[in-house]
Amino acid sequence: MSPPSLRVRSAIPWVTVAARLGLAGVMIVAGWLKIETPALSVEAVRAYELLPESLATAVGYGLPILEIVIGVLLVVGLLTRISGIISALLMLAFVVGIASAWARGLRIDCGCFGTGGALEAWEEPDYLGTILRDIGLVILGVWIAWFPPGRFALDSALGLTPSRADGVEEENEEDEEKV
Amino acid sequence: MGKGARDHTARERIKAQREAERKQEQRRRVATIATVGVVALAAIGAGWWYAASRSAPETIAQSLAPVTVQADGTAVMAKPGVTKPVVDVYEDFQCPACRQLELTTGSTLKNLAAEGKVKVVFHPITIFPEQLNNGITRGNSVRAGAALRCVSDGGQWLALHDKLFKEQPSEGTEGFKLPDIVAWGKDVGVTSPDFESCVTSQKHLQAHLDYGAKVKIGATPTLKLDGKEVDNPVAFDPAALRELVTNAGK
Repeated sequence: MSPPSLRVRSAIPWVTVAARLGLAGVMIVAGWLKIETPALSVEAVRAYELLPESLATAVGYGLPILEIVIGVLLVVGLLTRISGIISALLMLAFVVGIASAWARGLRIDCGCFGTGGALEAWEEPDYLGTILRDIGLVILGVWIAWFPPGRFALDSALGLTPSRADGVEEENEEDEEKV
Repeated sequence: MGKGARDHTARERIKAQREAERKQEQRRRVATIATVGVVALAAIGAGWWYAASRSAPETIAQSLAPVTVQADGTAVMAKPGVTKPVVDVYEDFQCPACRQLELTTGSTLKNLAAEGKVKVVFHPITIFPEQLNNGITRGNSVRAGAALRCVSDGGQWLALHDKLFKEQPSEGTEGFKLPDIVAWGKDVGVTSPDFESCVTSQKHLQAHLDYGAKVKIGATPTLKLDGKEVDNPVAFDPAALRELVTNAGK
C-alpha cells in the first residue's frame, strides 16, 4: 500500500463526518422551521401541484419530523448508511419537484425552509440555485451511504458496523495464518 | 488418533465456537439496529400525528354570529354588543396560504365569534402585483374581491367568501371567471337582484383596489389581534389561536 493512498483512506472517515454534520445541519434547520406551522408545510407541498390533496397533506405533516429525525441520526452517526440513503433520496425528490415546478412555469418558493410555498409579491424564485444546492446535498448523502459511518459515530461504538472491509481482511489474515 | 487428526478436531471446535460467537454477535447487531429503527419510526409517527392533530380544524358547533357588510367592503362577524377583542383578517382569495388559513383556523374564528368572544373583521384585498404571471394571478384575485362587494347581506357575503376559497384556482391559470362566480353566488343563496350584473360589469373593481392600496398590508394572510400581528404558528394552530383570543378578551 502506497503512502498517498493510505493517507487518502484515513481521510475518508473525516470527510464522512463532515458530510454528516453538513447534511444534518441543513435537514434539522429545514425541519425545525417547518414543524412549527404544519398547515403551511402542507401548503408548501401542495404548491408543487404534484401530489393529490390527501397525499400532499400527509407529506406536509410528515416531512418536517422526518427531516429532523434523519438529521439527528446523521449527527450521532446511528444507522448511518440507511440515513445517508434516505437523505439522498429525499434531496433527489426535492430536485425533481423543483425542476418540475420550474419546467411547468410555476412560480413558487421551494418551501424548503418553511415559508409555505408562496412568494412575497416582489420575490423571484431561484430555481437553479435551489436545485444546485440540493444536488450538493444529494452528493453528501451518497458519500455518507458509500463510506459510513465516519468518525464519532454511535454505529461504531455500538458495533453496528460489520465493517465490510476490516472484517473481511481480519478473517483473511487469520485464514492465512492457519494455512 | 494421529496428530493431524487431533489438530483437525481442535480446529473444527475452534471454528464452530467462532461461528457461534459470530452468530450471537450478528443477532445482537440485528436487535440493536431493529430497536433504533423502531424508535426512529415511532418518533416520526408521533411527530406526524402531533402535526396533524395540531392543525385539525374545529368543527362549527353552533349557528354563526351575525355578519354585517361595511361601507368600505369589509365585513364584521360578531355577536351584538361584542366590540373587543378585534381580530382583523387580511386575505386574498387567490392566495394559497389564505385558503389554508381559512381551512385551518377559519372555523375557530367563526366559533369564537359565535361564542361572543371576539369581533372578527374580514378584509378581502388583492396582494398580487401585475407583473406576476402576466397579471393572471392578480386578475383572478381582483375578480373575486370585486364580486364579493356585490353582496350586501352579511350571511350571504360569508357564504360566498367561503365558497371562493373553496373554489380557488391555481395561481398560474385563469380562474374565478365571472360566470362561475355568478353561479357560485346562486349556489350559496345570494339573493340580490342585481348580483349578476354587478359581478359581470365588475362594478366594484376600483373600490376593491383602492381599499387594498389603503390598508398597506405587505403579505397575506395577515391576522391581527387588536392591531398586533399574530405569528403564523399561532394563526395556523386552532387551539393556540383560540387561547390567544380568549386571553385577550379577559
